[in-house]
Amino acid sequence: MLEQLLIFTRGGLILWTCKELGNALRGSPIDTLIRSCLLEERSGAASYNYDAPGASYTLKWTFHNELGLVFVAVYQRILHLLYVDELLSMVKQEFSEIYDPKRTSYDDFDDIFQQLKKEAEARAEEMKKSKQVGKPVNNNPARKQGNVQNGNMDGGNKKKSGGESGNDSGDGDKFKGRPLENGNLNNNHIGKGEAPTVVKNNGKENGVSNTGAFDVNKLQKLRSKPGKKTETVVNKVSKTEPKKITKKNRVWDDSPKEAKLDFTDPVSENGEQHISVVATDQGESMMDKEEIVSSDSESEEEDAAKDNKVDAKKKGGWFSSMFQSIAGKANLEKSDLEPALKALKDRLMTKNVAEEIAEKLCESVAASLEGKKLASFTRVSSTVQAAMEDALIRILTPRRSIDILRDVHAAKEQGKPYVVVFVGVNGVGKSTNLAKVAYWLLQHNVSVMMAACDTFRSGAVEQLRTHARRLQIPIFEKGYEKDPAIVAKEAIQEASRNGSDVVLVDTAGRMQDNEPLMRALSKLIYVNSPDLVLFVGEALVGNDAVDQLSKFNQKLGDLSPSPNPRLIDGILLTKFDTIDDKVGAALSMVYISGAPVMFVGCGQSYTDLKKLNVKSIVKTLLK
Amino acid sequence: MDELKMEKLKIQLQQLHYEAREFVEKIPPMQLYGAIGVVILTVLFFLIVRLFKRRSSNTVVLTGLSGSGKTVLFYQLRDGSSHQGTVTSMEPNEGTFVLHSETTKKGKVKPVHIVDVPGHSRLRPKLDEFLPQAAGIVFVVDAVEFLPNVRAASEYLYDILTKATVVKRKVPLLLLCNKVDKVTAHTKDFIRKLLEKEIDKLRTSRTALSSADISNEYSLGVPGEAFAFHQCLNKISIAETSGSTGDIPQLEQFIRQHVKA
Repeated sequence: MLEQLLIFTRGGLILWTCKELGNALRGSPIDTLIRSCLLEERSGAASYNYDAPGASYTLKWTFHNELGLVFVAVYQRILHLLYVDELLSMVKQEFSEIYDPKRTSYDDFDDIFQQLKKEAEARAEEMKKSKQVGKPVNNNPARKQGNVQNGNMDGGNKKKSGGESGNDSGDGDKFKGRPLENGNLNNNHIGKGEAPTVVKNNGKENGVSNTGAFDVNKLQKLRSKPGKKTETVVNKVSKTEPKKITKKNRVWDDSPKEAKLDFTDPVSENGEQHISVVATDQGESMMDKEEIVSSDSESEEEDAAKDNKVDAKKKGGWFSSMFQSIAGKANLEKSDLEPALKALKDRLMTKNVAEEIAEKLCESVAASLEGKKLASFTRVSSTVQAAMEDALIRILTPRRSIDILRDVHAAKEQGKPYVVVFVGVNGVGKSTNLAKVAYWLLQHNVSVMMAACDTFRSGAVEQLRTHARRLQIPIFEKGYEKDPAIVAKEAIQEASRNGSDVVLVDTAGRMQDNEPLMRALSKLIYVNSPDLVLFVGEALVGNDAVDQLSKFNQKLGDLSPSPNPRLIDGILLTKFDTIDDKVGAALSMVYISGAPVMFVGCGQSYTDLKKLNVKSIVKTLLK
Repeated sequence: MDELKMEKLKIQLQQLHYEAREFVEKIPPMQLYGAIGVVILTVLFFLIVRLFKRRSSNTVVLTGLSGSGKTVLFYQLRDGSSHQGTVTSMEPNEGTFVLHSETTKKGKVKPVHIVDVPGHSRLRPKLDEFLPQAAGIVFVVDAVEFLPNVRAASEYLYDILTKATVVKRKVPLLLLCNKVDKVTAHTKDFIRKLLEKEIDKLRTSRTALSSADISNEYSLGVPGEAFAFHQCLNKISIAETSGSTGDIPQLEQFIRQHVKA
């Protein structure tokens, strides 16, 4: 049985609920649906499962974009109610006819709903019967085909030969009464995949700014800025002890600096002292620098974008497009949106967004725009772009606070260390960025301890030890061939003994498909229950980003012994300086995991750690 | 075809132009200047009126965490009832109306523009659209479920209090403890103290970390002292309401204080 059916506005006011069903829902499935599904651009799904103690519901929904209404049906998970989609679309159609924005109560809808529900149930019954009868006896093959395979045909047939179907079920008069609707309903019922969903974007009408600017130069500037600083420091040091530095660091052609992460010092034991001098003087981490967006270049590009737009307008059918843009177009249809969406999808994919995600996003944008009126003086493409920009900003804006320092202080007050576990596939830069995070934390007077839990790859512990010595922070290590979970546990105990505020746990890199290693990781996380599970991913990945993150999350969930497994809390995006404008990986990762990008690694020195600038990423993606 | 049409249009336009010119030349110059002067004056007048209107805006923004009861308050203000209840908002509710309690009042009452901005963190950027025109901000706090949300609430409040659009214009803010009809509700003094304490902590961690996204344009309070709301440049008051029972006189009072009837 249906548990509840609600009609509410996007603003959140419930317009109508079914009083007869009236069962009090356990938990708050509707709010959960809105928060975790509808507002997250996860509209591809046709239904949503809600779990709460003592309740497991399935929710289905449909939107009326033009009126801004949402229709949600709730039913028990164990019941597979076939008629829900059908009922929802019937209710949608009937309700939109009597809807008036000024009215807030619709008591008269009760009767209509009762009728609709009966019809829907009867139809479901009939479907079941016809299936049961059709299978063993096979006396009515044509009808079965029509019912199951071809919704369109079915509707059409019914219209003409309503009598025939009526004889079978005894409900024929009703079908005759609403022949047109039947056609509709069948379509809807069978075409479940059409996903009648998606959050609408209250699109700002600024198509121009979308095409704005992300400086590629900015990256380079940022890269070279700290470089200069460190260079001078290095010079100073090398003056005092010029003999010690024997190996020359490689100089990359576009960033003329002496990279600082290569510390293969031949006299490492003696080198400790001078190393520490360098470490403490490397300047501010880029996490703390305001991003200087060179305003002049931005406005320039914006101007250029404007010019482009004007040109584009001129090229098209000048008179007709002008007229259309002034008059404003009637309701947008899917066919109007398609070309613009396809162009947008291609553009996203050239920016290295995973195909799957570009597709989903475009679908959800299309669903949010369909049926809306095009405002005057706008074009379809700019409307689509504005909607997409809104969606992207919403996705990339962190849901939870990414203020780690605050969390660290909170943990400190409770008297326990704040534990961060770095996970990721091989060679993405876990240890390197762990050192950068440590450096950043140190600058904020947080005492840090490293835990070398990569007990698998040879040299991993030594690598971390080198960083620890450079930064002059304690490191907890137990050599190789130990269970990393135990090492981490001991490290945390050690940290609470010596009063460290933060423990950074380095783990071995692993491919997402490697089950034994994933099991070990899930054990490590279960045993130590860290405060933050940071997924380290490189910005270079394309389609694989989706696979990596979703598998990591899935494996962490499946292989964990606890019923409420910890999943990935945040993302550290590395090698961001290497990708130019192909910033799509950031979007792919955030979309697939729902976790925010907390840090961005963008260079070779300790200071090259940044925050993600959502606006510039969105600009780059839509450029 | 098109070219022919265009030619025709051109000729017609030229004719009109000549006619207009002749007409203008017929009028004595004094009259002409007078007419132009009148036109300019009226335009100026309207511009001034508009500017003046904008300055005394009548927008009050309802904000706060998701689930604190903003939408209910919005409908309480508008219709005097919460109807059949509400769910999480996906879009701002906006309306210009005379407060429900004042509809029975005689005489002309100035309507208020009230905006209820969703509290879901993904929809927070929407707030920036309404803040520049706000005459008052109402920050709604759930007094029952306060403790689990205290950090999120204080972060949100901190973000609002450090926004340039708020600080520069000294927009008054009302800290509204909602749902006080429940037995387990916390008192407003308790809520104020806890929020002040949390914001004090935030101040240290936020000034340490300046990010590209969450740019706080202003620092709060007096450095070296524990933060208290009275240190803020803008006036911050605190009140209690109950949205579900319709007990909202303090909210109405705040609105009327800052949007003159």
